[in-house]
Amino acid sequence: MSIDITGLNKTFGDFVALDDVNVSLPTGQLTALLGPSGGGKSTLLRIIAGLDTADSGTVSIEGVDATKLPPQKRNVGFVFQHYAVFKHMTVAKNVAFGLEIRKRPKEEIAARVDELLKLVHLSQFSHRLPSQLSGGQRQRMALARALAVEPTVLLLDEPFGALDAKVRKELREWLRRLHDEVAVTTVFVTHDQEEALEVADEIVVINEGRVEQVGSPDELYDQPANDFVMSFLGEVTTLGGASLRPHDIEVATAPHSAGAVEGSISRMLRIGFEVRLTVLTVDGDEVAVVLTRTHARSLGLTEGATVWLTPANGATVIPSMRASLAG
Amino acid sequence: MTSALLAGPSTPPAGPGSTRSRTRRVRRATPRNTLTRGAALGLGVTMLWFSLLVLIPLTAVVAAASEGGWDRYFSVLSNSQTWAAVTLTVTQAAIVTAVNIVMGTIIAWVLVRDRFPGKSVVNVIIDVPFALPTIVAGLVLLSLYGPNSPLGLHWAFTERAVTLALAFVTLPFVVRTVQPVLEELDADVEEAAASLGAKRLTIFRRIILPSLVPAVMAGAALSFARAISEYGSLVLLSGNRPYETEVVSVRVLTFIENGNNASAAALASVMLFVALVVIVALDLVQRRVSRRG
Repeated sequence: MSIDITGLNKTFGDFVALDDVNVSLPTGQLTALLGPSGGGKSTLLRIIAGLDTADSGTVSIEGVDATKLPPQKRNVGFVFQHYAVFKHMTVAKNVAFGLEIRKRPKEEIAARVDELLKLVHLSQFSHRLPSQLSGGQRQRMALARALAVEPTVLLLDEPFGALDAKVRKELREWLRRLHDEVAVTTVFVTHDQEEALEVADEIVVINEGRVEQVGSPDELYDQPANDFVMSFLGEVTTLGGASLRPHDIEVATAPHSAGAVEGSISRMLRIGFEVRLTVLTVDGDEVAVVLTRTHARSLGLTEGATVWLTPANGATVIPSMRASLAG
Repeated sequence: MTSALLAGPSTPPAGPGSTRSRTRRVRRATPRNTLTRGAALGLGVTMLWFSLLVLIPLTAVVAAASEGGWDRYFSVLSNSQTWAAVTLTVTQAAIVTAVNIVMGTIIAWVLVRDRFPGKSVVNVIIDVPFALPTIVAGLVLLSLYGPNSPLGLHWAFTERAVTLALAFVTLPFVVRTVQPVLEELDADVEEAAASLGAKRLTIFRRIILPSLVPAVMAGAALSFARAISEYGSLVLLSGNRPYETEVVSVRVLTFIENGNNASAAALASVMLFVALVVIVALDLVQRRVSRRG
């Protein structure tokens, strides 16, 4: 294991940021710390980097106890949400900074900077100042700067959070490919479940300072440990006292199977290729259903029509909190 | 106005591969006058005000001084008492500016980065030396460093008195220019440098200082300009001894009192030149240092 965290606690005044966190992050993998804002994931990342200190607990990196090490000695690369560029230095100087601190020979630094700028596709911008780059380019420069020192672990704090949707999507695909090339243990913080599912090998779901579940994207999506993980990873609706995904509900226009829930379509909304239904069941529950445009058309669905709903075969279904509390 | 609006989009946009020299050429090709009516009015008011207050009087002084030609400058400066006053003023202003660069930056740092009881009070008091009538400033200093000094420091009527008075009145300049810049610095930039292995001193030298230099130099220019023109606080404290503690502004007053307006104007325009040279020099230093990492 590359990073081992045991019994970590951190409070800011009355606010509990981390509550007895124990987690191990595997070497060479791309791990996402996923959770809502204010859930403690950034604090955890900053404690791993040594930028914050924990109240209690230990952090070890590659088997070395790093709990008391200053950030300078941890050999971690850190990428910030708002880039944290050195404004007065050129792109090449920014990337060279960590190597100059380590007093490497000039030729070696030049060669390494060259190689890294190629890796992040910024070679032609090496003499520019950061202010002359776009947000996405600045973040790629920050990444090259962090990679320059050959860190044991690379930590990224909401790295694409300040970018617009299109660039964000491009960059996360690119980060995945880069990680496959460089293969340094990487941990990134995100509150975007799609980003985590798409990019990460492993996801750690963190909420209210606690680890809710650790697993691969598929495990988390298919076998969520609880209601929170299920609802955080995607849309959730309740049907017959169980939580499931709106696209995992089969819609029939006649009562074929026993146990189907009868209801009428109270609202029908089309967004591109998908159709979202709100079905008011006879028990008075509102159920959200998502199906494709083609499917909806073949069933001849209209607002006000009566339908019968059943969970699809192989759907992820967990007893809902609301139902278990009521029952 | 319409022509300016039309001409705007027709300038070729700088391509991604264009070098800096090319963008500069493109920029020069844009029409110089792109003022809207409001902006034109603003510029007009600015220039009128600036001319009435500064440009015309200054030109008048230089014109009056140059009536006697280069000989006049030569004869004024070759007077040994005047020359002593000029060298004293410029050296003292330079010393005080250097002190302010260091002390002002430290004070600004303490006021921004540290938390201590009474911080807000100190923050207000910083401006007092600047706000006091200068003659009162002289009086204040005289009480501590004058003939009845409780510290036993009898610095009145010596060169030290000049340094002291100038340091007193120019104290706030660097503090006040550096403070807002220091407040604006992002903490994550320093954290980034730390995680790349930089020690605190290296972070200060290579990351923080280059960001502060423009503000420090602006403050230095102000404090130098103020120091070479100071009069009030020196009158009481320095004693105006010829060859020892007499500064240029006192010398100018003496010329005027003796009806020698031409010499006064010549000396004034020499000091104007010195101020310009120093301000430009500080600006050049600032440009060079803030470009380097």
